[in-house]
Amino acid sequence: MAGQHQKNEPPKELFVSHERKENTTEMITKPSRSFFQDARRTFFKNKMAVVSIILMIIIILMSIIGPYFNEYGMDGQDLSRAKMPPRVPVAENIPFLGMDGTLQDEFKGSTVEEATENAVMRYDNAEDFVDIEVLSEGDGSTDSAEVSATYNIYEAKEMTDDYFWLGTDQLGRDQWTRIWLGTRVSLIIAFVAAAIDLLIGVAYGGISGYYGGRVDDVLQRIIEILSGIPNLVVIFLLLIVLQPGIMSIVLALTITGWTGMARIVRGEVLKQKNEEYVLAARTLGQTNGKIIRKHLMPNIAGIIIINTMFTIPSAIFFEAFLSFIGLGIVPPEASLGALIDAGFKVFRLYPYLVFYPAVLISIIMIAFNLIGDGLRDAFDPRMHK
Amino acid sequence: MLRYILRRIFYMIITLFIIATVTFFLMKLLPGSPLSAENKLSESQREVVLEKYGLNDPIPVQYVNYMTGLVRGDLGISFHFDNTPVTDILINRMPPSMVLGGQALIFGTIAGILFGLIAAIYHNGWLDYTSTVIAVLGTSIPSFVFAGLLQWYLANEWGLFPVALWGTYAHTVLPTIALAIFPMATAARFTRTEMLEVLGSDYITTARAKGVTESGIIFKHGLRNSLIPLVTVMGPMAVSLMTGTLVIEKIFAVPGIGEQFVSSIEVLDYPTIMGTTLLFSVLFIVILLVIDILYGLIDPRIRLTGGGR
Amino acid sequence: MKKVWFLALALLLGLFLSACSGGDNSGSSGDNGGEEGTEESGSNTEQVLNFVNGDTIPSMDPGMVTDEYGIQFTGASMEGLYRMKDGEIVEGIATDHEVSEDGLTWTFTLREDATWSNGDPVTANDFVYAWQRALDPDTGSEYGPYMMGGVVKNATAVNEGEVPVEELGVSAPDDYTLEVNLENPVPYFESLAAFPTYYPLNEEFVEEQGDAFATSTDTLLFNGPYTLENWESTASSWELQKNEDYWDAETVQLDKITFEVVKDAQTQVDLYESGEIDRAGLSSDLVDQYQSHEDYVTVPEATLAYLKMNQTQSDALANTKMRKAISMAVDKEAMVNEILNNGSIASTGFVPKDFVKTPDGQDFREANGDLVTYDPEKAAQLWEEGLEEIGKDSVELELLGGDSEVAKISDEYIANQLSTNLKGLDVTLKSVPFEQRLDLDTNMDYQLQTSLWGPDYVDPYTFLNLWLTDGQNNQMGYSNEEYDTLIQETTDELAQDKEARYQNFLEAEQILADTAAVAPLYQRARARLVQPKIQDVYINSFGPTFEWKWASVGSEE
Repeated sequence: MAGQHQKNEPPKELFVSHERKENTTEMITKPSRSFFQDARRTFFKNKMAVVSIILMIIIILMSIIGPYFNEYGMDGQDLSRAKMPPRVPVAENIPFLGMDGTLQDEFKGSTVEEATENAVMRYDNAEDFVDIEVLSEGDGSTDSAEVSATYNIYEAKEMTDDYFWLGTDQLGRDQWTRIWLGTRVSLIIAFVAAAIDLLIGVAYGGISGYYGGRVDDVLQRIIEILSGIPNLVVIFLLLIVLQPGIMSIVLALTITGWTGMARIVRGEVLKQKNEEYVLAARTLGQTNGKIIRKHLMPNIAGIIIINTMFTIPSAIFFEAFLSFIGLGIVPPEASLGALIDAGFKVFRLYPYLVFYPAVLISIIMIAFNLIGDGLRDAFDPRMHK
Repeated sequence: MLRYILRRIFYMIITLFIIATVTFFLMKLLPGSPLSAENKLSESQREVVLEKYGLNDPIPVQYVNYMTGLVRGDLGISFHFDNTPVTDILINRMPPSMVLGGQALIFGTIAGILFGLIAAIYHNGWLDYTSTVIAVLGTSIPSFVFAGLLQWYLANEWGLFPVALWGTYAHTVLPTIALAIFPMATAARFTRTEMLEVLGSDYITTARAKGVTESGIIFKHGLRNSLIPLVTVMGPMAVSLMTGTLVIEKIFAVPGIGEQFVSSIEVLDYPTIMGTTLLFSVLFIVILLVIDILYGLIDPRIRLTGGGR
Repeated sequence: MKKVWFLALALLLGLFLSACSGGDNSGSSGDNGGEEGTEESGSNTEQVLNFVNGDTIPSMDPGMVTDEYGIQFTGASMEGLYRMKDGEIVEGIATDHEVSEDGLTWTFTLREDATWSNGDPVTANDFVYAWQRALDPDTGSEYGPYMMGGVVKNATAVNEGEVPVEELGVSAPDDYTLEVNLENPVPYFESLAAFPTYYPLNEEFVEEQGDAFATSTDTLLFNGPYTLENWESTASSWELQKNEDYWDAETVQLDKITFEVVKDAQTQVDLYESGEIDRAGLSSDLVDQYQSHEDYVTVPEATLAYLKMNQTQSDALANTKMRKAISMAVDKEAMVNEILNNGSIASTGFVPKDFVKTPDGQDFREANGDLVTYDPEKAAQLWEEGLEEIGKDSVELELLGGDSEVAKISDEYIANQLSTNLKGLDVTLKSVPFEQRLDLDTNMDYQLQTSLWGPDYVDPYTFLNLWLTDGQNNQMGYSNEEYDTLIQETTDELAQDKEARYQNFLEAEQILADTAAVAPLYQRARARLVQPKIQDVYINSFGPTFEWKWASVGSEE
């Protein structure tokens, strides 16, 4: 047998000596980047998110410095300048912007004279300052004639040197000042509520997930019951009982708001704590606290940040919603929601009173949602390219 | 599964019990009583009125009475509407809210699925961007701003629908749209993501390779599988509808349960506030339960792990 | 998988269908109303009006009603001894009455052709039963003791349970004669008797219905010009239909008035513009837009708004000079013109304008002149003196206000005016729902409060009894002996002497101004859009706001 074997041995010349080559299949061609570097890169590639971030920075800055751009105060009432339309230097010369400080509307009557009379009556009887443009001559029947009247209220009130950039409200308060102060209040409420949700949620979820067992059981039952309570109902009840104000709103928003965060953090901790690196750290004798802080936290940070980003707009919305229902902030303080509520009632007459705060709150909500979306993609390894 | 459902129902009852208790004691903390409507009342009169509403008893006794009443479906008598049981008020106010909520949910979900589907099919095309923008706007713009715009343009300027009130079917259109916008946006975003994932999966490639038509792939294989997880977002949707009814019914003067809740708070009609609170809670909890059960039925993995949560 | 999907779909569908069928009932009834509305407003001869109501009607029990709408609709569908028409007292169930020498016994002759909507005649016993019921402690009526206490003999005693209800000073010698004994001579008793609390009730029917009485159309009986149809206490729409059995049915021209609950003023105006309703209330902001509208009307009321200053909660408010300063520090003219903007007028006294006349024919307000006017310099000076007297540099006060839109804005204005015009004063706002405010008022748990008061009968007493030391609506620790005596005299020794009685009223009002009991703000008016085709709707300063008995639809223009 052995002899046969030797006979069948292949000829030596068939062998080609092996050339040592580097294994390219395992080679890392991309530059080495940590997870967070990757995340940042993906995030900044997302144009919408970047624009949103810039917008938010501007809005936050304006809410801090905006009110001091003019000399009017939060509660600077003066009935003689009530309900003034917006007027902005330079922009006042561009008619379609609606910032030229005039009120404009169409009036009807059976004749042009009658329609004009209606227009003048509507505008404080200040005949000299109302420009009439006839739209339709009319044939004498009811409401057949139509005129378009432009009332130059700043001239009529001899306030040609004054500029209320976003107009004034029913009590003559400068809307520009109030909008930025209102934004400040809305943002403070949202950030504080989100921060409290974050603290409680992370601590609760972390403990529940990390320790597991009996602790987890008890904590989860509590959450199960709490999250069965509609948050709307809790918020309503609390606001009826408490003195209305910023603190009450924050409390009402956070009292059930943290359960969502706690759930997510618990789920993530449960997943991560069985990973090998945690086991390794434990074998090396790390304390529980150190494991949580040093190892678990960085790994669940992404999901926490994303969740917080979505908490903020929902807090802004809830505050606005409460103010709209009439349970929000106490005047003369105002939030965006309170301004919208006040403006909403007169929005056919003075659309600028509701327009700007509504646009601003929508921008803030959209921006936070887009930033949240961007972050979610950024922290999703599948999206890293 | 049965054990799971029974356990959930047990927790549900505990939750309701806690809500009822908390609500009861919070209401006791509040100022005001049935007789604060007019303070033209002598002391002896006060006693009589308090007696009538059972407010003369010590609070623990009142609590027990209220809870036993609850078990029998008796929510007490309204402070505001003379001699009218709260149950009657709620029953009267339910139909409009149910109509609005139901229509908004169905219309919103279907429209949302369509948007999401279109976005997924024309991935990265302009249709995709448009429907994504609509979805982002829908989740971001506060419902009351949106409702105001609808009321102003569609009803006032163009006269297409009644401005407000309740009555004909046309009256339901605007509030339904205003309510539907959030479910629509949510469904659209969700469908798009799921659909993209499904369309990229192996079995779709297999189906394609086997020569299944494109429409067959999208509707038979793609859509069906991407819709199942949609059940999970039904919870937040239902909740948003409840929040929505409060504002929307206020704006459109719809005599529904949300409008009733807001006006009961205005007149401090405690029995009605408590009744409405409990009704909202029951609805909320039952919806959550139904969704979880449905999800459990649909997704076998959930069943295996015995409960998901 | 398929099965499950269908299950979910069926569930959704079920929800939808059940919702739809539930909605259909309410839908169809509203449907009819809407169609009829548009159809009929187009033609001139149909005697139908379509109105909106600001809220639901919480109660239709004449003995229990306390709110504007309850009073309004009991007034339209039921009738007492008298009825108000354009400020005049006209006959209702009573055709005539006699008053004894001492003014204590009133004997009413009732008409014999008045019937309830179930066919029973309206008799004197119905009045006796209704009045006794309103005061019976078991009924728990709020207005009963308020409207009858101190007026009808033994009313308070009956209400406190000290004597049986039979002791009440009202009796029926026969079916159509009603004899009333009063505690003191009450010169304005006729106008009191036109108030819903004094309406008759059919004993048999009320007892039969028990707790359900007056909770829906089916559990009500009517004896007024209209019957209330399709109503239950939570209903958001209902109508008034001509009552063919009413004794004066030929005077009643309208066949039907429909009502729909609409709270928002803007919505009301929209409905008005689209021709669906014939009258809309205007909020002050809407006035800007509609004051040039040809249907624009403002209706002055006899309702006063004033600032209550609680002397028990703050040493500043216990100081007369500081109270006076506050009452002079608000620019009331600017407030009524710019904020309220609906025809309201700045109020300078404690009894409204155009409400009562003194015996020599002068308006009460004119007789006493402008007692409290805006004077910021004087206010600032008084305030400073006051601060010195109480030894403080600054004072913080809380202003308790309502949560209605107008209330919020005007409260913000008042707070700002006070803080601006009075150095060292800081006013913060607290706005709470109406009911909660009344509770805080009763417990005197407030410092400043804006308050409204409308009259309950035509006599200065309805305003001037508010600030009696033990007055049920004082609730702010105001007490002035001289004032108490003057007012007390008008109810007993001077009750029969019109001259002296009014002299007392005038002097008493002067005292209120000198001691700054409250700070008068404005006399309310309301702005509305009203179809010109509506004729002869009278507006009352007390009781039911609108009197529709004589109303009709005229030809347009």
